[in-house]
Amino acid sequence: MENTAWNLEDFVDSLVVELDKTRETLSIKAINKPLTYTVKDMAMDLNIFPTFDGDQIKFITAQPGQQGASKVTIQLGSITDQQVRATSKTLQKDDVSISEIEVDKDTQKQLRKMGVNSFDDLEQIENKNVNIEKASGTKLNYNKLLNQLKKVKRNNNPPVVKSVSLSLEEDKTPYLSVKGNNLGVNKLFRPVAVLNESLAEVTGHNSNEIKIRLTNQNNISANNELVLTLDPYAIVKLNVKV
Amino acid sequence: MDEAFIPFSAMLAKIAAFEGEIYDEESGVHSYINRFEIDTPVEINIVRDENGKILLGVIPPLYRVDTTFEPSYHAIRFSADISES
Repeated sequence: MENTAWNLEDFVDSLVVELDKTRETLSIKAINKPLTYTVKDMAMDLNIFPTFDGDQIKFITAQPGQQGASKVTIQLGSITDQQVRATSKTLQKDDVSISEIEVDKDTQKQLRKMGVNSFDDLEQIENKNVNIEKASGTKLNYNKLLNQLKKVKRNNNPPVVKSVSLSLEEDKTPYLSVKGNNLGVNKLFRPVAVLNESLAEVTGHNSNEIKIRLTNQNNISANNELVLTLDPYAIVKLNVKV
Repeated sequence: MDEAFIPFSAMLAKIAAFEGEIYDEESGVHSYINRFEIDTPVEINIVRDENGKILLGVIPPLYRVDTTFEPSYHAIRFSADISES
């Protein structure tokens, strides 16, 4: 059977799986046999012919009789869990992976080449004022991508309304207090409130509370419709009974 | 995978499966090999299964005869330490 072409990522994945299997086999054996060995370091010298199809570099191992192959050495060392944690960047709890949004494979590949795997990665680039389209030399709808990621991120932390109450300010102006979780989370966006189809002023906002000043234009009655746009990705519609 | 080859993990496990205890009955002394390193030429067969996953087949040199087309010998080096248990 002829060898098939492979890319380095697939090959290393397969190699790591094989090494894991070896370790498992040897550790099972260690239960009954007091003297067993653990594979520590491993290296392979491969005679290969590289090919480039315009997109990917692939390798094919040399067949019998083939001369002039290149040599690739793959060396796998072993490190502890702690070292892995210290040298790897893991996805934070509230971060969003690029794979969670609907983007075509080419865009995903381009982003990966630039080391962008998550919303935080993309935001860091934005904060440094880097024009990702010019830097990568590719057509990338950066804003669309960022919006998709922000939407997923917001969906992962949806707003929760726990209570709505009517109170008076110090100057005796009535206001609605909407309390809950993940409400005004976007510091750059002031929530917009529409009460009974009239715009109402949001006088204060944070993650746990939104304060809305009431005026005569809001026509408060027994049943009131409140539409609260917390940010571009979260709109809450409430029926407030007084 | 070609039938002459075995999975890479199986070959490593087979190589590491020797008894590393040397016992001198006369003096009653036990000696242990606590680390070994192996560097061997191998033939490699790389194929993909029906799901596109790479299967890595390895075998030490199969034939010790001169042939018109010589096999391509790759190399594997690995070290193993005695397990703590």
